[in-house]
Amino acid sequence: MEEVKVGVFLSDCGKQLAEILDFKALTEHVKKVSGVALVVRGNEFWRGEGLKTIVDAIKSKKINRLVVAETLPKLSEVKIVKAAEEAGLNPYLVEVIDLKDHCAWPHRDAPLEATEKAKAMLSAAIERAKLLEPLEKLEFPAVKSVLVIGGGIAGMQAAEDLADLGFEVHLVEKAPFLGGLAARAGRFFPTDDCAICIQSPASDVKAITHTSRKCVYRSGFSEIPNLNILTNSKVVKVEGVPGNYKVTVEKKPRYVDESKCVRCDLCTTVCPVEVPDEYNAKLKTRKAIYINTPPVHPPVYVIDESACKFQECAKCVEICPTKAVKLNQKTEKLTLNVGGIIVATGFKEYDPSVIKEYHYGEYPDVITNLELARMIDGFGPTNGAIIKPSDRKPAKRIVFIQCVGSRDRRWNPWCSSICCMISLKNAMLIKSAYPDTDITICYIDIRTTGREHEYYYEKAREMGIKFVKGRPTEISHDPDGNILIVDVEDAILRRFFELEADLVVLATAMVPSEDTKELAEMLGIELDQDGFFKEYNAKLRPTETKIRGIYLCGGATFPKDAPTSSLHAHSAAVKTAKFLSTGKIIKDQRTAFVNEEYCGDCEFCPVICPFNAITLVPKGEDHFVAQVSDLKCEGCGICVGTCPVNAIELRHSRPNQMEAQMNALLSVNGTSKPLILAITCSECGHTAVDSSGMAMMQYPANVRVMKVPCTGILQVHQFLQAFKAGAQGVMVVGCKTDGCHYEVGSQKAQKKVDLAKVLLKEYGIEPERLEMFHMVFIEGDKFAEAAQMMTERIEKLGPLQLM
Amino acid sequence: MKHEKEQKTSATSFSDEIRSQLGGETIALCYQCGTCASSCPVAKTTERYNPRDIIRLSLLGEKQEVLTSGAIWLCSSCYNCQERCPQKVEIADVIYALRNIAIKEGHIPNIYSEFATGLMNEGRIVPISKFVEKKRPEYGLPPLRPAGLDTLKKILAATGFDKIQWKKEGTP
Repeated sequence: MEEVKVGVFLSDCGKQLAEILDFKALTEHVKKVSGVALVVRGNEFWRGEGLKTIVDAIKSKKINRLVVAETLPKLSEVKIVKAAEEAGLNPYLVEVIDLKDHCAWPHRDAPLEATEKAKAMLSAAIERAKLLEPLEKLEFPAVKSVLVIGGGIAGMQAAEDLADLGFEVHLVEKAPFLGGLAARAGRFFPTDDCAICIQSPASDVKAITHTSRKCVYRSGFSEIPNLNILTNSKVVKVEGVPGNYKVTVEKKPRYVDESKCVRCDLCTTVCPVEVPDEYNAKLKTRKAIYINTPPVHPPVYVIDESACKFQECAKCVEICPTKAVKLNQKTEKLTLNVGGIIVATGFKEYDPSVIKEYHYGEYPDVITNLELARMIDGFGPTNGAIIKPSDRKPAKRIVFIQCVGSRDRRWNPWCSSICCMISLKNAMLIKSAYPDTDITICYIDIRTTGREHEYYYEKAREMGIKFVKGRPTEISHDPDGNILIVDVEDAILRRFFELEADLVVLATAMVPSEDTKELAEMLGIELDQDGFFKEYNAKLRPTETKIRGIYLCGGATFPKDAPTSSLHAHSAAVKTAKFLSTGKIIKDQRTAFVNEEYCGDCEFCPVICPFNAITLVPKGEDHFVAQVSDLKCEGCGICVGTCPVNAIELRHSRPNQMEAQMNALLSVNGTSKPLILAITCSECGHTAVDSSGMAMMQYPANVRVMKVPCTGILQVHQFLQAFKAGAQGVMVVGCKTDGCHYEVGSQKAQKKVDLAKVLLKEYGIEPERLEMFHMVFIEGDKFAEAAQMMTERIEKLGPLQLM
Repeated sequence: MKHEKEQKTSATSFSDEIRSQLGGETIALCYQCGTCASSCPVAKTTERYNPRDIIRLSLLGEKQEVLTSGAIWLCSSCYNCQERCPQKVEIADVIYALRNIAIKEGHIPNIYSEFATGLMNEGRIVPISKFVEKKRPEYGLPPLRPAGLDTLKKILAATGFDKIQWKKEGTP
């Protein structure tokens, strides 16, 4: 192996640092460290002349390892690493440290102590650099093809975007028709136009044609050549890795040939089977062969196989003029090869029959908002008439009840966010069509927070819709006159009302779609506490999941209105396009690897890996070993922290590298206080140290910071190792337990710290010498406080007595 | 430069006091939907009692009004409100917590003072009249047995019941 030659570049940050740190002493110190071939003092090593010095040193082969002490390493590191790589150095042989925010600034009141700490920091960086190994950059193929699951408003929008961008798109919808919940809702707020509008394909941008810019009916959506629409279909299996998934789709028979059906309607005239029409809230019946109206896609009949008599009857086959009915169609299994997956499975209305006091399902005139929407729809079961389902007489007095099963900790604690607007919309549509209808909305809080939404509420009041601030306790039925009585307190008047109603409309909660859990398991992604799909980060990555290549949009993450679903869908489409656009995924090898000699027959790491990167593969008879996917591995090391036999390591944070770093950090004290090792994660923990330095918050220089990828990598024996290496106290600084960048790392670390405290006691070491802290970037004050507190605590405890 | 944080002083409010009582823990979850009030058989017969009002006043810190107006003593403990509260506020239990605070602070309706005195002196809440004693055999009921006052007194002492100032000076 080539001799290790470390080049150390010390930036004094335009002399600023030199006022605190003794750079002459630092240079002398570094020169004496074995393996150091070059020491250069200067400033701005991340650009201009400074960076050129580094490049020249690499090119002239004077050095083959690089340590740079630079300010703002989070910004400069990228440039330094890039330049080093271009100069011919493997980019994983570079170590950048921050002498300003981690040393000079926070210890500016104690320059001598700060200089000693800087020596330790430089030694640690050099020792680590000496042990670094060159890593590869790996290239994986990415199929420029996308699966979109769910053909509602979000799924259609995302599919259209991606298809127009040139990707091959498969849109899978489990119902026989596209449109989802939106198609049933009929109209949308705040524009009161059709619910199923989507943007039309951008093919009309390239060549403006006859298509509409807005209407799905006229959009030519189904004519996009690289869009494969699979209705009546369900994803049943997902295998493979990001960029290259094998997806099995089960396509149920439609029993009608899509290419032949001309929608002449003759089949329904002869079909003898009548069943309640679920799509239309069972307010009418339909035949076993049917089509939903208004049609979204495909404009083709379908046979309900649970109702059809098939060969016993076959009247539709006889009458069909184009011979489109095919009763012998079978379920097909299709295999799709896609690079990315978008989940757009939406949400559904909660079944309010569990709320016994409202008697839904028992009193026919108690209905849900979606059922009401079918009545309002001119295409619907009553052709727009608002009736009492019990006797089909016109409903003249209507009471809406908000928050049915939502904002209710007995059923669904969340606010479904769109139901206030839905009730306002439905109430106004009824009031416009039948102005003499008496409408009351019983609410807890009216939430009209979106753009133009408050005007909607204003208009409803102007139209004479009444509002009662109170959640009714019960709906009862008076058989005399067949009326419903809604028992409610108006909290503003502090008065009780028994509201008489012909029709009571429940604004029910919106809950995750069926099969959400099953699909999440299939895809290896998480659900949130409410059962919706969980995004990687609700604030900044609202369409991403923890698995690269799998994206979310629309109501699958939470109930959304149409405009928000559209936006969300565009975002998911862009994310997917970015991921697949080059046709390849470049991923470095900062990953975990398994030493197969030690590994075997335990299932800890595949279970604990948050990214499903570890699988078990057979090794000999009845044995298996873990195998890491370099593509899926995010390099956090939570597996390392879990492995009971140390059979798994991170290539960029190996035990010998960590040990050398730890020993060097604790080799020099230079202060009168006890040495404390602060092990931080590379995410929030380390940046919290940065921010305490940036704000010049003071803490004593005896606190030494060591960075690891994620605190989840830590093992109990490493705490003992730190004490052995000279630490009098150990701090573990990680992300918030619910904000770990690797999902569970800081939770696991906390557990290990708790366990280690018990063990320390057994070894005769005070458990208070070890403590875990959770903080975010902007909580630098918390870090400074913690460092100060730990120093005082350890001073009080006195020197550590190791047996 | 030292970074100093302002020290927050924590004021113990009435709602904190209620939440620290057994049964009072859930009061702060209330969002004033009124389901309790419309479920309440008492509220529908008298304007003097409305569970939503009591919770609202409590959360806004109107301690004197809640404890002295007499409303909290009107709850019939039917638990309708508690069954239907969408926020799982244990309303009937909150009312009990408020009654406990009221008693500790000496806001006790006369009738409860009389009950307590009867219990401590005779072992019974309702005094046994000569009339009742005479009537019992006519209905085939056995004569009443003594109340076991000694044991009862021990229980009352162990719970601190007998230390409560049941009758304030000057109250009728």
